[in-house]
Amino acid sequence: MIQDTPDIVVTGLAAISAAGVGVEPLVTAVRGGQSCLTPVPEAIAGRAGLRWGKAEKFRAADFMPPLKARKFDRCSLLATVATGMALADAGVTKDSLAPERVGITMGSGFGGITNSEEFLTGYFQKGVDGLTPMLFPNTVANAAASNASIEHHLQGPNVTTVQRFCSAENAFQLACRFIAEGRADVMVTGGVDELTSRMLQGFQALGQNRSFAADYAEGCGLLVLERRSHAEARGARIMGEVTAISTLGLIPAGRESQAVSQLLPSESPKRLCLSGTADLLPAFAALLPDTPRICLPQVTGRSIAMGGLSMVALVATLGAGEQGLHLAASPEGPYYAISFTGGKPV
Amino acid sequence: MSRERVVITGLGVFCGAARDIPGFRRAVIDGTSGVGPVDLFDVSAFPSHIAVQVKGFDPVAHFGRRTAAKLSRADQFGLIAAGEALGDSGIAGGYDSFAMGVVVGAGAAGMFQSEQWLAAALQERQISPSLLRGILPDKTSTVIAETFGLAGYQGTITTACSSSATAIGWGADLVATGKLDAVVCGGSDTLSMLTFAGFNSLKVVDPEPCAPFSLGRQGITLGEGAAFLVLERESVAAQRGAKVYGAVLGYAMAGEAHHMTAPDPTGQVAARLMHDAMANAGIAKGDVGWVNAHGTGTPLNDVVESNAMKRVFGERAGSVPLISTKPITGHCLGAAGAIEAVATMLALGERTIPKTLHFRGRDPECDLDYCHDSARPATATVAMSNSFAFGGNITSLVLGL
Repeated sequence: MIQDTPDIVVTGLAAISAAGVGVEPLVTAVRGGQSCLTPVPEAIAGRAGLRWGKAEKFRAADFMPPLKARKFDRCSLLATVATGMALADAGVTKDSLAPERVGITMGSGFGGITNSEEFLTGYFQKGVDGLTPMLFPNTVANAAASNASIEHHLQGPNVTTVQRFCSAENAFQLACRFIAEGRADVMVTGGVDELTSRMLQGFQALGQNRSFAADYAEGCGLLVLERRSHAEARGARIMGEVTAISTLGLIPAGRESQAVSQLLPSESPKRLCLSGTADLLPAFAALLPDTPRICLPQVTGRSIAMGGLSMVALVATLGAGEQGLHLAASPEGPYYAISFTGGKPV
Repeated sequence: MSRERVVITGLGVFCGAARDIPGFRRAVIDGTSGVGPVDLFDVSAFPSHIAVQVKGFDPVAHFGRRTAAKLSRADQFGLIAAGEALGDSGIAGGYDSFAMGVVVGAGAAGMFQSEQWLAAALQERQISPSLLRGILPDKTSTVIAETFGLAGYQGTITTACSSSATAIGWGADLVATGKLDAVVCGGSDTLSMLTFAGFNSLKVVDPEPCAPFSLGRQGITLGEGAAFLVLERESVAAQRGAKVYGAVLGYAMAGEAHHMTAPDPTGQVAARLMHDAMANAGIAKGDVGWVNAHGTGTPLNDVVESNAMKRVFGERAGSVPLISTKPITGHCLGAAGAIEAVATMLALGERTIPKTLHFRGRDPECDLDYCHDSARPATATVAMSNSFAFGGNITSLVLGL
């Protein structure tokens, strides 16, 4: 399925990752090819040799009073702070645009799970006396995007998506459609992930610590999208353009080559970005062997909604007029190919 | 942007009130509530002991032992309802796999099973880790896509109680713009200790069957289930001679940006939402015959929704019935929007405005027409269905014959 994107441009970026807080540390890590993964403490992992992509440099207290930060779960903190960073990068302030014309779509990796675990733990250990009502509202997967919308007064379309390793791409597709249909003028979109020791325990129980959940990460990568005409009218800096979005839900047996040719654009990109589990798929990993590529699983780690950070890294490193291709996959599908043209390198 | 009319060619439902479309049509038109005692887990410690549960469900009878073990309760309900909708539509073999997709609205998803793993882990008891397989809400879409060969698109919307209403709107977008020829869209959600304990902890669960817009209402009655619609472009559906229930005329969604749990008391954003949905559908206020409310039965929500109706319809508000089917189905959270869209479509088809059950007396703050007395014959061909959620994620669908 191919979606045309009528003149949608990127005017803001934000990143919080294992590389640090901000787009620059992420770009530096990508350009330097350095791994920001660190060992998981044995006390948490139960064994040595595991790595994770913890956003250890992110401290909520750097952005809001500690008392305020306490009411958020970590996923919401990451999303709320990154949304503020993305809007500021795009030059959008609370009063500069009508709030109902600014929306948010966000892929969520295990959003709400931390609060769900904490809420249920109280109940399982102490019965009704162990229930903490204030935890419950943030057990929903949309807590991160919704808390961000409340904090930044975004009253436009507000959608959270979860679709395995293509959660952020799914959200990105919605954002482009909402702009194309005139449902919003500006959309904040991307993905947010949290990582807890209980999650690692779950991955281990399922035997995923050695496969897709190896080097698991947390963080938030967001892009600000709008129509070119809207961006130009408000004098925004244009950092890139979304030229095409293509997706498939799954690849039926025997139709692999048709699927790949249907998914990929005809033009060869100058830069390739592999996200989700695309680097583990031979059909994708072997593409364009001589093309410079970004592969965040090896830099900041792999996670459900890592597509947000991957797209930020791609757009931030594209030269003016350069074609970039973001390829994302999940083991059972879906698959995404999102084409960007560079504006000005960050 | 020009959009072709999106028609509904298949419906499916599996919930506590009924387990297929014919049964659900009867429940909605006759006003039969599925509320009863919960026996899925121990609720004796809570003020409320009731919900609209799918009682006596045997997944092995539906799927066989091996398949059932791989699916969460939400996956199972979703597969059954999506299967009914796809069978009803007759699209099997009619389109290439890459031209069909699935959009699911999800809520607690596989939490019913996942929380059993957590309980065991806390006690350091050994338990099958397969209970965790459905913890991410996207699993239902994947099993539906794989089971029915829907290869064009897979998406899952997770905006709590508005998830599946938005999933239907998004599904309509995908076929209206020609990205897909057909989409099965809706939602699935199940009871879980997380949500049962959670809503009880917030003191928004009525110990008696929920009584939307009534005096003395105390909150929601939870439910569980799944509902799906098959959507196609009108011209394509007509070409293959498809049976047509009606159409998804349009939708809107917004973020209230007010509070994680409380609705904006002014109803301003909810009113704008309904205006935007009508504009998206290309209809006028006078075209809307009635509204299937979010209508949870909480003291605040019902007043806010009534006030939003007054902002939208002005003096005519009293003559646009605002009904709630939640006393029939319970509040099915992530699946609520889809279950209510199906209820709305079936009622439109029967030319009937459903009754809002469990009336306890007139609340002076809820002074509109809620069809508390009885279901009512209607000539209306257009109705709206509202879904409001935690986080201020609100969606309104416009459905028509």
